Parts: sequence; C-alpha cells; structure tokens
Amino acid sequence: MLNRLVRWSRIKSPWILHLNSGACNACDIEIVAALTPRFDIERLGVLLKATPRHADVIVCTGPVTRQIKDRIIRIYEQVPDPKFVVAVGACAMSGCVYRGAYNVMGGIDQVIPVDAYVPGCPARPDAILDGVVKLLGKL
Amino acid sequence: MTDIEIIEKAKGILGGKALDVANPAERRIFIKIDPGSLTAAVTALRDQMGLRYLATLSGVDDKEDFELLYHFADDHACLNLRTRVPKTAPRIESISHIIPGAILYERELQDMFGLVVERIPDPRPLVVPDDWPAENYPLRKDWKFDRPEEKIPGGKS
Repeated sequence: MLNRLVRWSRIKSPWILHLNSGACNACDIEIVAALTPRFDIERLGVLLKATPRHADVIVCTGPVTRQIKDRIIRIYEQVPDPKFVVAVGACAMSGCVYRGAYNVMGGIDQVIPVDAYVPGCPARPDAILDGVVKLLGKL
Repeated sequence: MTDIEIIEKAKGILGGKALDVANPAERRIFIKIDPGSLTAAVTALRDQMGLRYLATLSGVDDKEDFELLYHFADDHACLNLRTRVPKTAPRIESISHIIPGAILYERELQDMFGLVVERIPDPRPLVVPDDWPAENYPLRKDWKFDRPEEKIPGGKS
C-alpha cells in the first residue's frame, strides 16, 4: 500500500533540474520551450526547480567539458534519491562533434549514470516530453 | 581612404620597423615587423593612425616558429601586424598597457601555445580547465592528446 503511494507520488510529480554542461544553448531553448503553456507540461506534474536539492530528474544538455566534470558529479550527489538523469540532445548522448576533443569528456554517461536519452540536434520539445514520460513509465 | 593611402601612411609612421608590407586582398593589409619593435609599432599606430580596436590576436604554429597576428580594424581596412617568435625562445612583449583589451587574447595565447607574454598584468590561465596539467599546450603541433577510454553503458553490442 505504502509502496504504491510512493510510486504514485513519484510518477505524478517529477520535478526537474535543468543542467547545462557545455551545450550551445539550442537544447536549452528547446527545454524552455517544452516548459511553456503550449505543451502544458505541468499537467504531468513537471516543475522546473532552481536547486538540485528539490529536483528528482536532472535534464542534462551538452557534452561534458573537463572543467565542469567535478561540478556535475557534485550536483548529482546533491539530488536526493531516487534520482534520474535524462540526456537531451546529441551532445549529451555521445559528445557529438565535440567527442574526442582535448577538453571534452564525452557524453553525460561518461560522468554520471543516465536513465533516458533524447536524440536530436536540438531535440524537439515534444521529444523531450516524450523522453521524460518514457522515463516515468519505467518506474 | 584607399588601401594604398593606408599603406603609405602606415609606412610613414612605422619607418624602418615595417619589414615587409603585403596587400593580399582588398582592405586587408599585412605588415611584418620584428617582435622587438612590437610595442613601439602598436603605440605609434594607435596614436598616429587611431588604430585602437584590436579585433583579435591569433597565433599560428608553423613548426619552426610561432607567428602572431595582431588584427587591427578601423573604418577603412583590417591592418594586421605579423611577427614571428622562435620556438626555442617563445617570448613576446605584452601590449595590454597600450591596448587594455589585449590581455584576454594574451592570456589565451599563453594557455594554448605556451608563449611567455612578458609584463602581462595578470598571467593566470584563461581557457584551460582548472585541473589541466602544466606544460601541455593544445594548439602546438607537436602536442599529442591521449584520449581517455570511453565508458559504454551496457557494453559494446
């Protein structure tokens, strides 16, 4: 009974943290577009949070640069359990064109575990929504 | 002002400091100078020709020397001062006391090529990460990058 309640509340209120680890801002704009009333993402209980301590899902964009690697790990550790990571865009998935550069570690999965990948350059807002919803479906 | 007038004016200002003048394209003027006379040339061009705007400073590693290009822009043309610094003694005088905005380019030059910019007011690294190992200069041609092994979540298929 309690487990069902916990599961229900997790699925109904995934608060997200938007994290840019070195993206070109295109994916960030699409994430912001996904939060607009046009898509009305709040009907799924999604709220954008300003601090990792309030968030359940980290929505990451961009390749991981060497400078931000330790900071990403710190942000990931600040998020309370259970936590999930969605990698948005081609760069966050693999590093894309920046892969192999001397100051880029690669995709987000090189640094923190990733639960869902959303392809696209940049990913469409409905694709991002779909990624978050598919992640919630796994719970 | 046509290109020829600009070249004549710059030659008059620089005198013997201008080793070679080229005009490879319209409104683009290359002037070769000696690294020792760089600060004097920049001061003279700023005061007498009004070249205050340093568009950028680029560095080239051509395997024997470092070539530095100071791109000055004004309403009429883009005037580039080119100077060559030997790799064995990579030192250049700072111009940031003449043009304060040059300091960002000079700090980047130090990070990327390992050039020593003398009399720079703030020599801290600018673009390389905080944990970057010393003596690694990414834009040098003889620098090799050992790419770390990538983790593939779930293993290779």
